[in-house]
Amino acid sequence: MSELAIRRGAAPALAVEGLTYAYPRSATPALVEVSVEVAPGEFVLLAGRSASGKSTLLRAACGLVPHFHGGEVEGRVTVAGLDAIEAGPGELAAAVGYVAQDPETQVVSTTVAAEIELPLEMRGDAPGPRGRAVEEVALALAIPHLLGRAVDTLSGGELQRVALAAALVTRPRLVLLDEPTSQLDPVSGDELIWLLRRLNEEWGVAVVLAEHRLERCLAAADRVVAVEAGRIGFDGAPREFLDWTRHADPTLTTPAARLFALAGIEPLPVGVRDARRTLEGRTLGELGSPGRPQKTKRGAGPALAPVTPVPHPGKGAGGEVRPPSRLARRRRSRNDRAVLRAAGLWVELDDGDGPRDVLRGIDLAVAPGERVALMGRNGAGKSTLLRTAAGLVEPAAGRVAAERMALLTQNPSDFLVRERVGDELPGDHGRGALRAVGMEHAIDADPRDLSGGERQRLALAIALAGRLDGDGIPGLVALDEPTRGMDRGRKDDLVALVERLADQGAAVLIATHDVEFAAEFAARVVLLGDGVVIADGPSADILSGGWYFATEVARVLDAPGVVTPQRGAALLAERGPA
Amino acid sequence: MRSPFAYIPRRGPLQSARPGAAVAYLGALVVVAFLYSNPLVLVAAGLAACLAGRLAGARPAVRSALRMGLGLAVLIVVVNALVVDRGETVLARLGHWPIFGQVDVTLEAVVAGVSIGLRAAVTLVAFAVYSACVDPDKVLRALRPLAARSALTATLVSRLVPVAAADAGRLRDAARLRGPGAAAVGKGPLARRLLAGSLDRAVDVAATLELRGYSLGGPRGAGRREPSRHDARFYAVAALVLVAAIVGKVVGADDFRTYPTIAIGTGPATLAVAAIVLAGGLAPWRRARRPGRRQASVGSVWSPGEQGERRGGRRV
Repeated sequence: MSELAIRRGAAPALAVEGLTYAYPRSATPALVEVSVEVAPGEFVLLAGRSASGKSTLLRAACGLVPHFHGGEVEGRVTVAGLDAIEAGPGELAAAVGYVAQDPETQVVSTTVAAEIELPLEMRGDAPGPRGRAVEEVALALAIPHLLGRAVDTLSGGELQRVALAAALVTRPRLVLLDEPTSQLDPVSGDELIWLLRRLNEEWGVAVVLAEHRLERCLAAADRVVAVEAGRIGFDGAPREFLDWTRHADPTLTTPAARLFALAGIEPLPVGVRDARRTLEGRTLGELGSPGRPQKTKRGAGPALAPVTPVPHPGKGAGGEVRPPSRLARRRRSRNDRAVLRAAGLWVELDDGDGPRDVLRGIDLAVAPGERVALMGRNGAGKSTLLRTAAGLVEPAAGRVAAERMALLTQNPSDFLVRERVGDELPGDHGRGALRAVGMEHAIDADPRDLSGGERQRLALAIALAGRLDGDGIPGLVALDEPTRGMDRGRKDDLVALVERLADQGAAVLIATHDVEFAAEFAARVVLLGDGVVIADGPSADILSGGWYFATEVARVLDAPGVVTPQRGAALLAERGPA
Repeated sequence: MRSPFAYIPRRGPLQSARPGAAVAYLGALVVVAFLYSNPLVLVAAGLAACLAGRLAGARPAVRSALRMGLGLAVLIVVVNALVVDRGETVLARLGHWPIFGQVDVTLEAVVAGVSIGLRAAVTLVAFAVYSACVDPDKVLRALRPLAARSALTATLVSRLVPVAAADAGRLRDAARLRGPGAAAVGKGPLARRLLAGSLDRAVDVAATLELRGYSLGGPRGAGRREPSRHDARFYAVAALVLVAAIVGKVVGADDFRTYPTIAIGTGPATLAVAAIVLAGGLAPWRRARRPGRRQASVGSVWSPGEQGERRGGRRV
């Protein structure tokens, strides 16, 4: 970002001075002596672990703290010349766009078009400019096809894009985003970050973006601010931030930086392009050479087991034919004792425009002990497949059967019915489940006071309670987007939990957009596209064979079967320096 | 799956009317339910609300509201029969109960409970029709001049029911998915969670509304104006029903006594009020197009003036 665009010296887009804030009935402050300034046209990435205070800082910057949350506040927050603590969110609306973590709380209208148009209407814009602005922002976010839809028929990812469109449509000077990509597929997530960058560069919009998946946005940021337990732990350039994470908090680093650190390569890269440039002239040209069998991360034989293409019902009778493969043979034997078996599964749902086929002839089998990631773009049918398997949705045709299935749906708050964590999970089973997700310390807490990541873990504990040990182990544990709001440390905990369940014999099926998480936990990836299985194979192959559904390491190295920093570093070590 | 109470855009008269007209119309039926105790008038108001919902295409909402309303009515009847010992026609002597004392179920107490239950059922059905047929976006915009500084009030009025309806289905699913070691979720905790959660979410939605600039003093003239030719009809029917109800009340159409013995008035005034209220349920009726007539008009010759009128959307 040029100094021209980041107008340093001009009145800051956001200035926080000595902000200390505690939520009502909270013993410890969420923010302590926080001071940070964002220049007009600056792109700031807010990093930090779950519940470190990132969301609270964003809420203070748009006036929701303290106006909607109450609590005790000290210090000063200035947005576009207005005192945010005095003015409140209404008066800041003209200058600030805010997108919260949970998109479901951000829709106030019935249809998508009305939702996006609302801020313009509130501002008093004439119908002509309103229509144009709605069309443009819808095109920019690739949602013009959603404009006529009712908001209660949208998927989580679609809702998130609609909320973002409503925040951007007024072209505010400052945009605050709280994990905006957490429910977006990799394609939409990448496009969103670069759209923000474009808005930032072309319109001079200052962007403050809180994210856990730093690999998605670090390269786009001018500056990184890391929040640690309510305090500013770091404030500086992205590359310096990566150096800082080495000693301060390694869980905040990116996969590419971990790859370089493990391989002993300097400097640490802030993105794929940066990494590839550093590696140019070293070994990159040789890494992708065909014919060299690679070992998978878990050492489970050659990584080049073929991906199984699946006939596409939409392509008619002349569709692709599934070639014979070792994997298919393995799957045939797996079918004999599958805990999830779907055969010719069709599901029809009505999203307000009449019934449509969401799943179209799905054939799938998952064996005990398998760790499977279910991936695909927003609206591909992942959640519907899980819900159908759990018996929440009736198939229109075909069969699906799941053995002793535990499913955690996308909205963890739906599982939280009582006002005390311990009341949700009584007895030994409850305590065991809380321990399993690392939440035993919160047994007396009110679930509503927990952070997004903590609520998710608690909901997971509720779905798992009584199913963890002994005969209570479920046949299939299915999780729908469980990593939303989780930092890497928590994701690692989840991976450990998943591995423990799999070791005990449970099959684990996780619908996720998080490719890095999928690479860590899954041995197999099933890729859905428009209601059909378009690829099904070992995760190392699926997640290294493309651009969007690929890990950062795979994008850096472009080597078949290499998706994790550990495997990548081993490969670089094998090749040695140029 | 969509809640039966969720608003679904349709082209019916009730849906295209302004929120004020729709609220006046459905509110008039509720006012009748609260003004009158006579079961005949209450049944007429209930039938009118059902008819209105049926004609407006909100059958699922009416069906669900009737289920809930009748359940509530039965509960009221039972409680009233147990706690009220007035009335001369004893149906059953249930002996001495703790807390209640001597319990005698009388026909009069049962009928009084029916009257109160009918009132609750009418209110529920009318509210269900409102929820399914009146666009919350229009309500939100209509409230802005009245409550621009209170996004929370606007949200509670316009979004609480849709938010609660959407939450209810998900909460039911989540309850079915709880592990065997988690605390069981009965209807009570679920209802409490739904209410608390909906209020919490309404506060969040209100926060979003604030962030969208709801309290900004933008020029109101730029807001959408969607007049409907059906507004006058609903205002007129509401006025007619209210005037008939008030006049009827004054002249003794609400002739109903439960204690010590039952006396239900069925005089001309009561019957007239009941008939007017019942006829009010026809307000959302839309005359169906007759294909034969349309066929004929396609084949006929139109003068330029007539064609212009047709393009302008007027019936010829």
